[in-house]
Amino acid sequence: VERTVSRKNINLMQLVYGTSASTTAINEKRESIDDEESDGDDFFKLKGEGNKKLKEGLDGTDINTEDCSKFTNYADLKNWKEEEIYESIRDRFVTGDWSKAAQRN
Amino acid sequence: MGKVTYKRFKGSQNLRLRLLLATLSATPVLIEDIRADETLPGLRPHEISFLRLLERVSDDCLIEINETGTKLKYKPGIVMGGKHLVHDCGVNRSIGYFLEPLVVLGLFAKKSLMVRLKGITNDSKDPSVDTFRSATLPMLRQFGVPSEGLELKIESRGVPPHGGGEVVLSIPIVQSLEAVTWSDEGMVKRIRGVTFSTRVSSQFENTMIHAARGIFNRLLPDVHIFTDHKAGPQAGNSPGYGISLVAETTSGCFISADTAVSYVRGNDIDEMEDEKELMPPENVGEQIASFLLQEIEQGGVVDSTHQGLLFLLCAMCPQDVSKIRVGKLSPYGIETLRHIKDFLGVKFVIKPDPSTGTVILKCVGSGLKNLSRKSS
Repeated sequence: VERTVSRKNINLMQLVYGTSASTTAINEKRESIDDEESDGDDFFKLKGEGNKKLKEGLDGTDINTEDCSKFTNYADLKNWKEEEIYESIRDRFVTGDWSKAAQRN
Repeated sequence: MGKVTYKRFKGSQNLRLRLLLATLSATPVLIEDIRADETLPGLRPHEISFLRLLERVSDDCLIEINETGTKLKYKPGIVMGGKHLVHDCGVNRSIGYFLEPLVVLGLFAKKSLMVRLKGITNDSKDPSVDTFRSATLPMLRQFGVPSEGLELKIESRGVPPHGGGEVVLSIPIVQSLEAVTWSDEGMVKRIRGVTFSTRVSSQFENTMIHAARGIFNRLLPDVHIFTDHKAGPQAGNSPGYGISLVAETTSGCFISADTAVSYVRGNDIDEMEDEKELMPPENVGEQIASFLLQEIEQGGVVDSTHQGLLFLLCAMCPQDVSKIRVGKLSPYGIETLRHIKDFLGVKFVIKPDPSTGTVILKCVGSGLKNLSRKSS
């Protein structure tokens, strides 16, 4: 999801609300396949396997994902000690160029 | 009596959001397949605790759970609020998990809410009570919530696995919120923060502060991070330390980042394999300072963690247009937008702003009024 958001031309409305017909159709198809499969071998199913199938829920996400608002992605932290990197956000601080910052609005 | 029609959902995801929106919009919900295929099926203790809390603050609500806990029926009542309530949040999730929905509910209660919450004040999974105090509560003021009677007192701290912290939350009631035009992020003028330590040496705090300052000092001189070393009964039941930071901008935005370090919960099977070693305080300080800069770089009037609350507040405004700016949409933010459409029928217009890499959202509020409030 993250990567698509950062692409400039993506239709964010579609990403969030999934309004276009094509995406819903795909989802429905996937759902019906899941249903058929689970009808047959529901009886002898390993706990783990069931889990995996559930994880592919409606739009490819686990329906039991943890309920967490906190955004923690420490994996790709930049090295903010490097001059080039911390200077890149200088204008977001009062120590930076005020006229450049004003252009954001 | 007519038959109740329930809005149906599957799975445990976004449970708080669903129950909160169900309550605000007086929509009964039925949730099935809650961890139905897991070794330990059904609702978790923190979810049960949240349901109990809902029961406590409201009148006439109905909660039905099946034997395995995989199916939940919830018929919301009237949010009453009230003073001197006490709730034990348990040690499964931190107090932040409960505060997020509770603060919104409190605004639309019949009487102002004052509740003592016991449990974990700081951990790495949920926003800390410090962040709540220094970033979340100021955000409410943007929507016309009076600052009088709006506060969170931290009486003692507690970290996983055994908690032992206590806070007192006070939320005033509002007739309705005020729509916002809030797209100016401003420039960061100061950074504030607080470190804490419970049942470890207070030296850990100085190390975290030194490391965090090392990241900020080249950008901003106005950085103050306070210490809050707890001892005795105020330190809760487990050793730990952590740091919460807030960057305040010239336009009144509060961008936050926080974390805490302690030993893992014993009953959390998934995390049992995690290494026992704690992250050294120096790395904790550096990491969270870097993370804050990353949040500032990405832009928006709130940080990624607060996107959900921001969207909720906008959607609950009177039928005026709100306009806001956020950085990249966070996964939780997107879920919130979807649920807002489901329950309140509010659909945001979402447009990227390519020149800054941010996202502009606009919506017309649902016109939610506090009907339970006594008119005087």
